Amino acid sequence: MTTLRAFTFNFDICYNNYGIPFYLQYLAHWPEYFIVAEAPGGELMGYIMGKAEGSVAREEWHGHVTALSVAPEFRRLGLAAKLMEMLEEISERKGGFFVDLFVRVSNQVAVNMYKQLGYSVYRTVIEYYSASNGEPDEDAYDMRKALSRDTERKSIIPIPHPVRPEDIE
Amino acid sequence: MAARGHVQDPNDRRLRPIYDYLDNGNNKMAIQQADKLLKKHKDLHCAKVLKAIGLQRTGKQDEAFSLAQEVATLEPTDDNSLQALTILYREMHHPELVTKLYEAAVKKVPLSEEYHSHLFMAYARVGEYKKMQQAGMALYKIVPKNPYYFWSVMSLVMQAISAQDEKLAQTMFLPLAERMVEKMVKEEKIEAEAEVQLYFMILERLGKCVEALDVVRGPLGEKLTSELRSRENKCMMMYQRLQLWPECNALSYKLLLKNPDDWQFYLSYFDSLFHLMDKSWSQPEEGEHCVEGPVQTTVAEAVKFVVDRMEEQDKKESRPLRGPYLACLELIHRLRQRGCPDEKELGDPLELMVQFFGKFGDKPCCITDLKIYLHLLPPEQRSQFKKRLGELVPLGEAGEDGFGFPGDTKALQRHLCVCQLSRALGLQHALDTEGKLRLITELKAHYHHGLQFGKNSSTPISLSLALTTTMWANMLWQCLSVLEEGLSFSPSNAQFKLLLLLLFCRLGAFQPVVDLYSSLDAKHVQHDTIGYLLTRYAGSLGQFAAASQSCNFSLRFFHSNQKDTSEYIIQAYKYGAFEKIPEFIAFRTRLNQSLHFAQVRTERMLLDLYTEADVTLSLEESVKAMGVCPEEDDIPWDNMRDNRDLTVLVSWDPKDRELTEEHRRLSLEEESVWLKVRSLTLRLLASLALLGHAPSPRNSDKTNENGISAKSSTLQTLLSQLDQTLETAVQITEKQTQVHTLIYLTKGCYCPYGSLLFPHADLCPSLPSSLSPLRPEMLSRCKGEVLEMKDGRLTTRPSLLETLVFFVETVCVVLWVASYSASVLRPLKSSLQKKKKKKKDSSSAMPVVLCGFQEWTGSLQGVVTQALDHVKGQEASLTALKLAALTLEEGYSQTQEECGFTRAAMDKVQSSYLGSLQELGDLLRKRADSLKSLKI
Repeated sequence: MTTLRAFTFNFDICYNNYGIPFYLQYLAHWPEYFIVAEAPGGELMGYIMGKAEGSVAREEWHGHVTALSVAPEFRRLGLAAKLMEMLEEISERKGGFFVDLFVRVSNQVAVNMYKQLGYSVYRTVIEYYSASNGEPDEDAYDMRKALSRDTERKSIIPIPHPVRPEDIE
Repeated sequence: MAARGHVQDPNDRRLRPIYDYLDNGNNKMAIQQADKLLKKHKDLHCAKVLKAIGLQRTGKQDEAFSLAQEVATLEPTDDNSLQALTILYREMHHPELVTKLYEAAVKKVPLSEEYHSHLFMAYARVGEYKKMQQAGMALYKIVPKNPYYFWSVMSLVMQAISAQDEKLAQTMFLPLAERMVEKMVKEEKIEAEAEVQLYFMILERLGKCVEALDVVRGPLGEKLTSELRSRENKCMMMYQRLQLWPECNALSYKLLLKNPDDWQFYLSYFDSLFHLMDKSWSQPEEGEHCVEGPVQTTVAEAVKFVVDRMEEQDKKESRPLRGPYLACLELIHRLRQRGCPDEKELGDPLELMVQFFGKFGDKPCCITDLKIYLHLLPPEQRSQFKKRLGELVPLGEAGEDGFGFPGDTKALQRHLCVCQLSRALGLQHALDTEGKLRLITELKAHYHHGLQFGKNSSTPISLSLALTTTMWANMLWQCLSVLEEGLSFSPSNAQFKLLLLLLFCRLGAFQPVVDLYSSLDAKHVQHDTIGYLLTRYAGSLGQFAAASQSCNFSLRFFHSNQKDTSEYIIQAYKYGAFEKIPEFIAFRTRLNQSLHFAQVRTERMLLDLYTEADVTLSLEESVKAMGVCPEEDDIPWDNMRDNRDLTVLVSWDPKDRELTEEHRRLSLEEESVWLKVRSLTLRLLASLALLGHAPSPRNSDKTNENGISAKSSTLQTLLSQLDQTLETAVQITEKQTQVHTLIYLTKGCYCPYGSLLFPHADLCPSLPSSLSPLRPEMLSRCKGEVLEMKDGRLTTRPSLLETLVFFVETVCVVLWVASYSASVLRPLKSSLQKKKKKKKDSSSAMPVVLCGFQEWTGSLQGVVTQALDHVKGQEASLTALKLAALTLEEGYSQTQEECGFTRAAMDKVQSSYLGSLQELGDLLRKRADSLKSLKI
């Protein structure tokens, strides 16, 4: 039981991993892609933040999940799935071909969850994540799920060779 | 950095290396390269600006500024110079200069879309809404693109939002904005979703809800597609404003059928239902049905609706949703409020809650969900409720100690939830001391047992519970020990750290606090919301270096906010996210008016003065460098925002023990008074520093003499304000039982400035007869042992440290006053000596003033020496204290390991006290040195 609402920029932003400019950038550009979930007591349960990008001509126009976060107390309630579903619906309406996201290869829990939600590994991005000291830290999976516009599901055919972060758009 | 698209331009090629150096942070090379280039190409203005950026970034602000102005007065129209100047002015925190730049540019190139657009953005950065409106229209006239037109409309809305006079907003700005949009609607020129959203915003602000509804439901509303449920949400908002309860009810019903877990619609469903009942609304004749569908008007229908939703969940094979079950409790709550007997139809709250626990007890959210409805249980059912829940927690066989433990994480979570609930029900508070001690032991045992399921899982909560229980028993040292132990097992548990932090602060030991706070890894807005935990205690405990560092953490955040937010306001215009613009601005304002911001700003400057002024720079130079102006109060007293998160420490306490609005109000009142005391002190010091010097340029019309008397009258005004504020502070301490320690101390320790400074305000030409010495009782208040061992017990008196800090601060102030006096008396003495030489009258005695002054500095010397001896004595007795010899309190048995953690905590406190004393001693010695220069 959750109240799902558009993100209003205020002090909700407490539980974050990113700087304020990062959120402002998304809110200024893709406000519809920022949804928060609130418990009946008013606690912030979690949020999803994303964007739409890519070339339509090259059939690369898609929704992207930038951040998905659920507070520890509100895990295992299906909230992440709900938020993902909403982001996918927004991307559908925008005529996206697919939705994609990056996840640490070591984060097996998340990878499995995304698989359950219909995502598959499209490619591996080498050293996508870096540690706080700037040193390369870990590889990412680029996971995708085709939307209805991609009738032949061309967008999710895996690329066998890993790519470097500078080679992705 | 700047646009570098046109590679063909030879100037771009020449400038590129400078850009690269700047981008890589190699400012020195950038400056050198710019100089080189300027030798060959004197008129390459952009090179000058880039050099200025380099200078600015290496701390040479003045040089950078004059270089930039050289270029700016030429009113450049090349893109490179303009963009570079924009960057520079932003870094200098002078965004208003960017507007001047582009105003000149559009005059010279009146048809440039780009420069007009930059001008609009420059105005947006500084919030010049009226000029934005004009700039938007000017743009639209050059290039008739819709976004430009709507920038102008939005600027009107911003004028309305920022108008002091609401009438002006309602009768002028908003109607004008409405007409502008209507014109586009009539001409069928509306293109984008953002334009419809803006139209809706305007109508809504005008209170034209019917018109707003028409827009949303009409053809224009079809453009509202990006946001999910955008039309429904907007309709719902308008139904509620218009009190269209049938529509509100029908829409909520419809949305709940789609998603029976969306809580907000249960609330609007119940609200509308009861409104309809109160109005005895009845379904109209056929054919006039509500546009949103069927309306429900009776309790019976609502009960059936909720029961159906629950049954739906019960039948589901997948994970059930919590919404319907909680909606059932919510409905009971509402029916009970109305005194409606039908609540029985839904069942007994106790049974329902037990069932809820059965379904969701293994989820951590179970406690936050049920906590809201605990009041539905009558007090006599509380123990029974706990017992019933207990039956649903599978625990293993009880061991020797009589405790049974959960076998897996789910059972553990259930057990935790019961503990939390029984605390929230007040059952733990009702225990006697023995019961509490047993509870502590039990919870600790559970914590240790639970560690096998994960060190950073929710297991430590049981320990926190144990701890807060411990607090009742006033066993501070054991608390510390349990927390230190917990932290050693669960090193990233924020609640442990927060509790430890608070306890150490209460003990006056600031040293461990710094590490704890930085390990909390507070980010961004948290510097505002929880930064108070750190900065409130820092300076007053004598850890000046750490205090200064802590203030800097917060200040850095506040300063960058101002710059960052403006850039994203501009972005929001660009992308048509008009709804976000007022939000961004409100956020920026909220930070700028933050109480904590004002506090750290003030404390930081005071700290700098006390520790540095007259050591590296003179007091006057320090004050000038800080830009403190005694006449100006820069704190927004009337609009102060209290952004502190006072609930950062999770509490499961029963409702009657929770923090109330009244607590918050009182706390804010105290903080404000204390801030006032400190900011007046700062301004007093500034006015003292500037006393007797040539008046500042802005007052240059006044004569020198008038300048001085104006300053001394400022000084007097500030002094009387300080006296009044201290009086208020004393009243607060008398009125309230629990007060801010610092406020409490104002009672006796923080009032000498009035008597010290006042006589000096009119120092010229004759010195007043009574120079107030440092009152001896000020030092005697500091006497006593901060840490003492008595009968095997360790007691602390941290207030002694705080008193000592105030004493040292006072010494600083007195010495500044003395140094000012000396500067006045010196010319007096030398003129007397000249006269003496002329008259050759060796018999004439030294004037009383001079003798008085010398006597005074002599006594000052005495007090400072005494203070230094006192600090030395304290250090010695602290060092001599052998904590290892200590036996811990009785009544609470500790294992050897636990004793180890207690000792470690004690050591931290001891070493922190020593650190404070050392810093205080160092500062006193520094100040004592300056006594020598007081000879006249």
